[in-house]
Amino acid sequence: MRNFWITVSHTAVRRITSKSFIISTAVMAFLVMAFFIIPALLQTTASDEGTTVFIADTSEWDGAAAARFHELQEMETEIAGSAEEAERRAEEANGAALIITGDTEELQGELLVEGDEAMLVEQTGDILDRVQASLYAERVLELDETEAGPLFGGVEVSQSLIAGAEERPQAFSGSYWMVYGLVFIIYLIVVSFGSMIATEVAAEKSSRVMELIVSSVSPVTQMFGKLAGIGIAGLVNLAAIAAAAAAGAWLSGEETITFILDEVLDYSLLGYALLFIVLGYVLYGGLAAMTGALVSRAEEANQAMQPIIFLAMIAFFISIVALNAPELPVFRILSYVPFFTPQLLFLRIGMETVPAWEIALIIVILIASAILVNLAAARVYKGGVLMYGKFSFRQSIGRAIAVSKKES
Amino acid sequence: MGLKLDQLTKVFQNETAVNALSAEIKPGTIFGMLGSNGAGKTTTFRMILGLIDPTEGKAEWHSTRLSYQLTRLVGYLPEERGLYPKLTVKQQLHYFMKLKGMHKKEFREEMRSWLSRFQIEEYENRRVEELSKGNQQKIQFMASVLHKPELLILDEPFSGLDPVNSDMLKRAVLDLQKQGTTILFSSHQMHNVEELCDELMMLKKGNVILQGKLAEIKSSYPVKSIVIRGAEELPSLDELPGVLSIRKGKLESVVQVSGAEAAERVFRRCSETTWLKKFDLQEPSLHEIFVDQMGGEEHA
Repeated sequence: MRNFWITVSHTAVRRITSKSFIISTAVMAFLVMAFFIIPALLQTTASDEGTTVFIADTSEWDGAAAARFHELQEMETEIAGSAEEAERRAEEANGAALIITGDTEELQGELLVEGDEAMLVEQTGDILDRVQASLYAERVLELDETEAGPLFGGVEVSQSLIAGAEERPQAFSGSYWMVYGLVFIIYLIVVSFGSMIATEVAAEKSSRVMELIVSSVSPVTQMFGKLAGIGIAGLVNLAAIAAAAAAGAWLSGEETITFILDEVLDYSLLGYALLFIVLGYVLYGGLAAMTGALVSRAEEANQAMQPIIFLAMIAFFISIVALNAPELPVFRILSYVPFFTPQLLFLRIGMETVPAWEIALIIVILIASAILVNLAAARVYKGGVLMYGKFSFRQSIGRAIAVSKKES
Repeated sequence: MGLKLDQLTKVFQNETAVNALSAEIKPGTIFGMLGSNGAGKTTTFRMILGLIDPTEGKAEWHSTRLSYQLTRLVGYLPEERGLYPKLTVKQQLHYFMKLKGMHKKEFREEMRSWLSRFQIEEYENRRVEELSKGNQQKIQFMASVLHKPELLILDEPFSGLDPVNSDMLKRAVLDLQKQGTTILFSSHQMHNVEELCDELMMLKKGNVILQGKLAEIKSSYPVKSIVIRGAEELPSLDELPGVLSIRKGKLESVVQVSGAEAAERVFRRCSETTWLKKFDLQEPSLHEIFVDQMGGEEHA
């Protein structure tokens, strides 16, 4: 057990301090942060607090339209005496000038800006619509505040089931994004960490350091130590990306955080998410370690990983299709297949009602399969790490088992 | 006691890599395993270490089968050398020695002492990829001996080393023997085996073809060499029974014979025709024995 932890810490520390890991994690974190910040930045630019709109009201409302616009306080505004003054001050302050023209029945606005400010134009138009409606109601129709209220109250639309339709569980919309995210995360983990494991093992073999190591630590202990070590490195990678996402959400404003906490995260699914990530990693990781042990050179590891990556891709695409119809029997059956279970069962739990006994049964099948796959992988690994030569999946497995087994 | 190999056999997919190999190697002995490529030396080492299970037979160190619980007792220098290129000398030696259960303080003292012995103290914090091949080999040797193993297995320890480094390593091996380490090693360089080994075993296609103490093997080996220098040209010796080969030099000729009787026949024939300035019957070198054993089937 002591050597297991030595291998875990050696693998994790070496991986986390490697240049490639630091750079790829930093790039991913940066992209995730940008994903949150850029839309918010674009929005902020459109209704930029720094962009002051100087309003000149030359309409029949005789200054009332500009005053009402200013009262609404939906953007930073200042009232100018004339169109020329508005334009001059906008130019000086690097802002925009809004010239309001037209009569009491049809108001027009012209926005003078530097460059393309489509969002500002849309927002200004929207505010001006409301200004015109409220002035017209108040001054032409002579309605008081109570009478005019229904004009601006808005209409609420609700939804209910059509006759004969089956009710879908409430969780459907609530957990959609979380399920989608986990399906993607499991795929990402299998593809990137699986390749990482295979490459790591193959690199130790190709540098011939492997034989020195396995003379001190059992290959099976070493394999599981590597799996755990790279798993820890993977968690650090995910934690860094999650921290970047949290930082990005925080920087982009309160609304994004509220949306993530209330709409995206389904707290009842967090335990399942963690369980399926771990089991998915262990299942695919065992296969990846075995594959790495079968090749002689690090460059061959990616080629040898192709069948496992294809398997992960199939699981991913099935899950994407299943997201739109999780109740179909085919997805129920496929969720029993261990290589698809992490994504499909999570998807079913998140998006429909799965009986507790079925969840327990499928999880037991998955755990049993992960144990069996890892035992078989350890057997092949034990012989594979001592074996060099041309790679062929079927023949190499046969040779590795022959090296590791006692009887001929 | 010591290392006992009892009918050690390994069969891979109907191919016998090692066949019923038996030996008793006493503590403090240097034991050589010779054989051409594919003879079964590395497979034997791997079975002794417990890296692969024997199909039949057993290997025991002090009556106990070696396992990963006893890893501290064994040092191993594999034939295929390898280190982590990006780690420093100290980092990787520390990792290997942690796996052997060595404490940090003891490790540091031992590492510095060996670095100093090999005159590479300045490389302690250098990455291995920055070191020459010879110096990398010294580090690999250190990885197999720093923890002071009772049994040391060296698979081709001198291959690729220049004569200076080769001598340095030989002295280290002899010092380890003096300290009581039992050393098992293979080499293709016969002069190294002659210099170091007390006992040896020669393997061919997994079978033992020669085994015993080096001195006894040499003295009892039937094929001998005679170095002859005559006052005149030597007579024709080809047709004499027991003459295996003749190599004529400018001053001396070397005649290989199958035994003492053949040597006597050669002496008589030569002394009939010329005055012999030199007639020296020599024991064969290990190199000659090796070539003789590996080259033809008649002595196998």
